Amino acid sequence: MSITTTVIGSYPKPPAEGETFTVRKTLHALEKGDVTVTDLHAAQNDLARQIIGEQEQAGIDIVTDGHARWDDILTPFARQWNGFEIGGLLRWFDNNVYYRRPVATSAIGWGGPASVDALKFAKSATDRKVKAVIPGPVTFARLSVDEHYGDHQSFVIAIAEVLAQEAFELEAAGADVIQIDEPALLDAPEDLALAKTAIQRITSEIKNTPTILATYFGDAKRLGTELFDLPVDGFGFDLVSGPENANLIGQVPQDRTVQVGVVDARNTKLEDVDKLATTIQQLAEQVGAERLSVAPSSGLEFLPREKAQAKLQRLAEAAKKVGE
Amino acid sequence: MSKVDLPGPGLWTTSVGSFPKPEYLTKARSQFARKEISREDLTQLEEKATREWIEFQNSIDTDVVVDGEQYRGDMVAYFAEELPGLEIGGLVRSYGNRYYRKPIATGPIGRDHPVTVDWWKFAQGLTDAPVKGMLTGPYTICDWSFNEYYDTRRDFVLDLAKVIRDEALDLEKAGAKYIQIDEPAASTRMDELDLVIEAMNIVTEPLSAHTITHICYGDFHRAYPKMLDIPVDQIDLEFANSEYSLLDEFSADPFTKHIGLGISDVHTHTIEPVEEMAEGIRKALKFIPPEHIFVDPDCGLKTRTVEEAQEKLSNIKKAVDIVRAEL
Repeated sequence: MSITTTVIGSYPKPPAEGETFTVRKTLHALEKGDVTVTDLHAAQNDLARQIIGEQEQAGIDIVTDGHARWDDILTPFARQWNGFEIGGLLRWFDNNVYYRRPVATSAIGWGGPASVDALKFAKSATDRKVKAVIPGPVTFARLSVDEHYGDHQSFVIAIAEVLAQEAFELEAAGADVIQIDEPALLDAPEDLALAKTAIQRITSEIKNTPTILATYFGDAKRLGTELFDLPVDGFGFDLVSGPENANLIGQVPQDRTVQVGVVDARNTKLEDVDKLATTIQQLAEQVGAERLSVAPSSGLEFLPREKAQAKLQRLAEAAKKVGE
Repeated sequence: MSKVDLPGPGLWTTSVGSFPKPEYLTKARSQFARKEISREDLTQLEEKATREWIEFQNSIDTDVVVDGEQYRGDMVAYFAEELPGLEIGGLVRSYGNRYYRKPIATGPIGRDHPVTVDWWKFAQGLTDAPVKGMLTGPYTICDWSFNEYYDTRRDFVLDLAKVIRDEALDLEKAGAKYIQIDEPAASTRMDELDLVIEAMNIVTEPLSAHTITHICYGDFHRAYPKMLDIPVDQIDLEFANSEYSLLDEFSADPFTKHIGLGISDVHTHTIEPVEEMAEGIRKALKFIPPEHIFVDPDCGLKTRTVEEAQEKLSNIKKAVDIVRAEL
């Protein structure tokens, strides 16, 4: 039984050393008015195609478009929806990477799909399964400013409402997996009950597509097994930044899948394939190979491109060893 | 006992560190990267740009001058290029279309020659005002690098601290009376603030200069007042960017050091009106006496255009003059 390999979402955008960084060049040209948005989309599609190709080549089973069009995971949604303005730069968790903080200034409303075109393009570019990624409602709310609702609960639910619409559209567009990212939940156990209601709102719109609630950048021990009350088909853990997740991983209910980040997406040191295989073997014994998928610890955008690809190759190689 | 020996009642003007590079220098840097011009050609233009920035600061009577870092790319990579044990890695995104070369620790960190001292001397030779020595702090170099060598982050940070201390001592020997050790990463992880303090103590303990650290982009509300334990004489913070909300913290826990008061947002093209900046200074004066205040932009200005940066600095000076007259 082979072990499924996947990614969490983002992928480095700069090309290999010496090659032209077309997306960056096109963005500069766009600022000067030398090219059009259509040119930018073409460059971003090229990049997405390359990123998907690199995942295929490495041997990843379930791919993403690497968030090739996104500056961060929140802005594309906040920009598309009604009610949000885009605020200042803030640190993305404990990384030297920044995101723009969405500011809710009026009632949040559906302004059309934000991520569906990117998913459709990715689907057209590969025969592999494609994962769609959306930010979770609790993480979205906690990383935004609410100048309209005045209470956290209403704000989270309002965000969940529009995310539910997005999820519905993503399923219709052919997403093979829908991943809901909730890294901020790790530090917000007080939001678990609220998260349950909000996630329910989203997953109730998804009929058949498997869903995963992904956490990363730490361990979920403050959430404990109550995490499993959330109505999703599977749970994602970061075993690199949160080694204590090992305990919780063993307790995921039998009818749910488990996605585990085993290679460090935030440091360049390459993992030893044999050691990785041992880790994956243990996980497979712990939860059962059929329920397990393995991945980098988080999005790969924190690494130089060639390191990201090398890490995916090692991940796939180790997973294959275990499957043999 | 304050080590600040400047004329006037306080509200001294300065800058956080970097200034934008003029177009001829940006062009020359890419030409140099493509090996189309020599190191000497590039250095000449770096000196020209430095001279222009010092002249500009002189023209607006800046109290504590910076060299503008025309010869530096990224604040961490610049040191990584010079320090044994660190290598320059591939491009990593910082935000949007901005990328930097993130260094990699591949061996024990050392220092075989002074890194910033010659540039400091060059700059000091161009002005009567004191020029700040500008260093990147050990915690930030660690946090913004990959680590393939050290077993723990603490080992990595403490080795860097010794290297930065030696550089600071050499700056002091050359005559620097103000030394800034930037720790923008210091507010990233509350559970490592003790490590920031431990490392900074290694750097500043043997120094007699007025020491400053610049901290940005963090969860300030969780870092304060513990941040005051960082062993420096002055902490430089961004106020404009957060609409002066940091000041609210100072009523419960008084700010006990000199402050670098950032009154111009460096991430916007907008030039704040003089009166808005003056109002910001007046707000700060409710909490901190003028002789403890240095006024500057929120952060390094390198992402602005030369014109925007100069307009912002000119307005800061005008705002300071207005409020000084009210003292």
